[in-house]
Amino acid sequence: MPKVTLAQNILAVNEHVAQEIRQSLSARGIRALNIMSSPGAGKTTLLERTIERLRGRLGIGVIEGDVETSADAERIEAAGAETVQINTQGTCHLEAHMIRDALAQIDLAHVDLLVIENVGNLVCPAAWDLGEDLRVVVVSTTEGDDKPAKYPQMFAISQVMIVNKLDLLPYVNYDLQKVRRQALSINPNLHIFEVSCQTGEGLEAWCDWLGTFARGV
Amino acid sequence: MHELAIAQSIVEAVEAKAVECNAARVKSVRLKVGEASGIVGDSLAFSFEMLTSMAPVLTGAHLLIDSVPHRALCRRCDSEFAVVNYVALCPTCQEWSSEVVSGTELQIMELEIERNDNHA
Ligand SMILES: Nc1nc2c(ncn2[C@@H]2O[C@H](COP(=O)(O)OP(=O)(O)OP(=O)(O)O)[C@@H](O)[C@H]2O)c(=O)[nH]1
Ligand SMILES: [Mg+2]
Ligand SMILES: [Zn+2]
Repeated sequence: MPKVTLAQNILAVNEHVAQEIRQSLSARGIRALNIMSSPGAGKTTLLERTIERLRGRLGIGVIEGDVETSADAERIEAAGAETVQINTQGTCHLEAHMIRDALAQIDLAHVDLLVIENVGNLVCPAAWDLGEDLRVVVVSTTEGDDKPAKYPQMFAISQVMIVNKLDLLPYVNYDLQKVRRQALSINPNLHIFEVSCQTGEGLEAWCDWLGTFARGV
Repeated sequence: MHELAIAQSIVEAVEAKAVECNAARVKSVRLKVGEASGIVGDSLAFSFEMLTSMAPVLTGAHLLIDSVPHRALCRRCDSEFAVVNYVALCPTCQEWSSEVVSGTELQIMELEIERNDNHA
């Protein structure tokens, strides 16, 4: 029986689209960030606080991925960034073609930094390249301190980890040191920021770092 | 969790190749799946079976999965080692600086097909 060789990546189609997005954004001097976490870790809140702090310095565009509703997009719009909503209709992650379609609906003229809020999920988004330059994983003190060990792939592919909800540390059993250790054992190059979107603690350091990243084209 | 989406991508790529090769049926599909690709083999096989039952050319096709171990190369002592649970520590010199050399693969390697007799 004849054998046919393919030797192609299963996600080749997605990777191709992602590469096109990356090149077209880079040609316009735009840097892109893919922000991922489990549901409710605080991606949208972190984005609101980040936009409020950076909007005078940077043009920020946002693509909001959600399984249903446009609630997050409305919050981001109110914070002062141009926003496009993608409803994935049940899919547990964003794919590059969704970003390509969303980009056609956004005015990129004044955008320096494009932020993509992925669907709340620590597993599936790790496999789909969206054409981003930076992957950020957010964890929070209310979800248990074993997340890096349980979902290592997400931490292996990210460049930044943000630990959110520091203000709740006194009320939860969360070992910050253990989370840092776990995450760095998977990815020794991970940049770690510890913040509270409630009190503002740590946000200055994160926003300064991001501001520098966005301009370092 | 996303094995269904991965299976869908496999089916699409295989169907396209089957048409290109004028195949009447695809008997098997061989994959390379890295230990650190985030894919659970059983779950992928289940999704694949479900999807192929709806694709005439692929109905009954076997999914053959070659698993690839997660390995890294130490930048300091240049030795290659097995990465266990994603922890990238060199067992020889206890150095954290290493480079992944295998284990992230997610590839379709080959198909076994039956051709249309009339076009042979
Ligand atoms: N106490 C406290 N609550 C926070 C903090 N950051 C976010 N929250 C709350 O956590 C809840 C979830 O926050 P979101 O920003 O909606 O989380 P998300 O990750 O965008 O959620 P999904 O998009 O549904 O996955 C909201 O009620 C926020 O007000 C924080 O630093 N401290
Ligand atoms: Mg959100
Ligand atoms: Zn070594």
